[in-house]
Amino acid sequence: MRFLALIFLLPMVAAAEPATVIRATELKQAPATDAATVAELAENTAVDALERQGGWTRVKAANGEGWVRMLALRFGGTAAAKPGATGLSQVFNVARTGTSGTQVTTGVRGLDAEQIAAAQPNPPELAKLQGFAADRDAAASFAAQGKLDAKPLEYPK
Amino acid sequence: MKILLFLAGFALATTAHAQFRLPNLDINRMVDTVKNVGKAAKEIDEPEEIAIGRDVASRLLGAAPLVADPRLQRYVNHVGRWLAAQTERPDLPWQFGVLDHANVNAFAVPGGTIFITRGLLDRMRNEAELAGVLGHEIVHVLRKHHLKAIQKGAQTALAGDAMGAALRDRAGPARDKLIAFGTEMYTRGLDKSDELEADRLGVVIAARAGYDAYGLPSVLQTLQAISAQDSAIALMFKTHPTPGERLQTLDRMQPVLDAYSRQPQLAERFVSQIRR
Repeated sequence: MRFLALIFLLPMVAAAEPATVIRATELKQAPATDAATVAELAENTAVDALERQGGWTRVKAANGEGWVRMLALRFGGTAAAKPGATGLSQVFNVARTGTSGTQVTTGVRGLDAEQIAAAQPNPPELAKLQGFAADRDAAASFAAQGKLDAKPLEYPK
Repeated sequence: MKILLFLAGFALATTAHAQFRLPNLDINRMVDTVKNVGKAAKEIDEPEEIAIGRDVASRLLGAAPLVADPRLQRYVNHVGRWLAAQTERPDLPWQFGVLDHANVNAFAVPGGTIFITRGLLDRMRNEAELAGVLGHEIVHVLRKHHLKAIQKGAQTALAGDAMGAALRDRAGPARDKLIAFGTEMYTRGLDKSDELEADRLGVVIAARAGYDAYGLPSVLQTLQAISAQDSAIALMFKTHPTPGERLQTLDRMQPVLDAYSRQPQLAERFVSQIRR
């Protein structure tokens, strides 16, 4: 079990994200307000974010390792830009429909603005979508399997 | 307008079929116009909301089909349906779909249809993060954000009586225009206030359903780390406030977030279910 948990932490550790603290923040020894303070981090201090636990993120800073409030972190400020890194595949997603052996290009599928605006109805996929829907009872037993307890909680004003 | 109403009332009162014509005046048409203006101005009722949503969903599926993985689709439906059950509209025909596309995005369609892209799902770490995003989208449906935007925009975008015609005749050309307009809405985005409301209420729904409430803020930090130059996230960034602004707004929710931060994240179940 502990071994499994470790495996799931691995991708997060491997992908230590560069981040900065958006305000002066205490670096804590444990993920709790009353934990000992390891160091004081000034506004805009660069850190590496390692993992999250509740509202706390474990980070590595120049002057030590510890936990900061996750909402005190901003990501991506210094990350190198990779233009179009994952968006290239769309070019190849040409939708084709064919009758009697001839194929006609009906449009380029995809989720960019122009493609959404030009999208045509897809009734077979809509039928599949409806087929996957879950009823309330199934959802409730799924939640019970995950030990998820429903609780009353008001919306904020 | 008052005169029209009077004439229409006169026509209805004097003949059952409103068949007679005054010179250069088609009473039938006038009666129709009065009825349609009335219908367009009225709140769209729930069956109509669901019908419009179904047609818009079909178009979005024309842009990107579902991931061909029934197990994955059922998993996301279980999470989503459990979240929806904790809301004020638990009995809408809720349905959730993972679109087979590398772009990072999610869409809430009127009437209870929610889409999330494979690209966004691939960047998540656990079920609480999925619940945070679905919670945000569910709020758009609960508060009818898109429906209201469609209704408001369509009345100016579709000429004259077209809105009434679109609601009256589900197979006519005006209907087609309304649905095309409703689909295009996803390329322009909602008001910023709608998005920030969906964030605030979305984390509450995730917490009600028993999840670690920090799922949504966690995803927002992930998005923040993606370069704005990455084309996979261009539309999402264009149609939403920046992740930084959204996180800042969620700062005010910290007491709620902290109170429900020790609830399950379900990383293992998530990873085992979304694995290709």
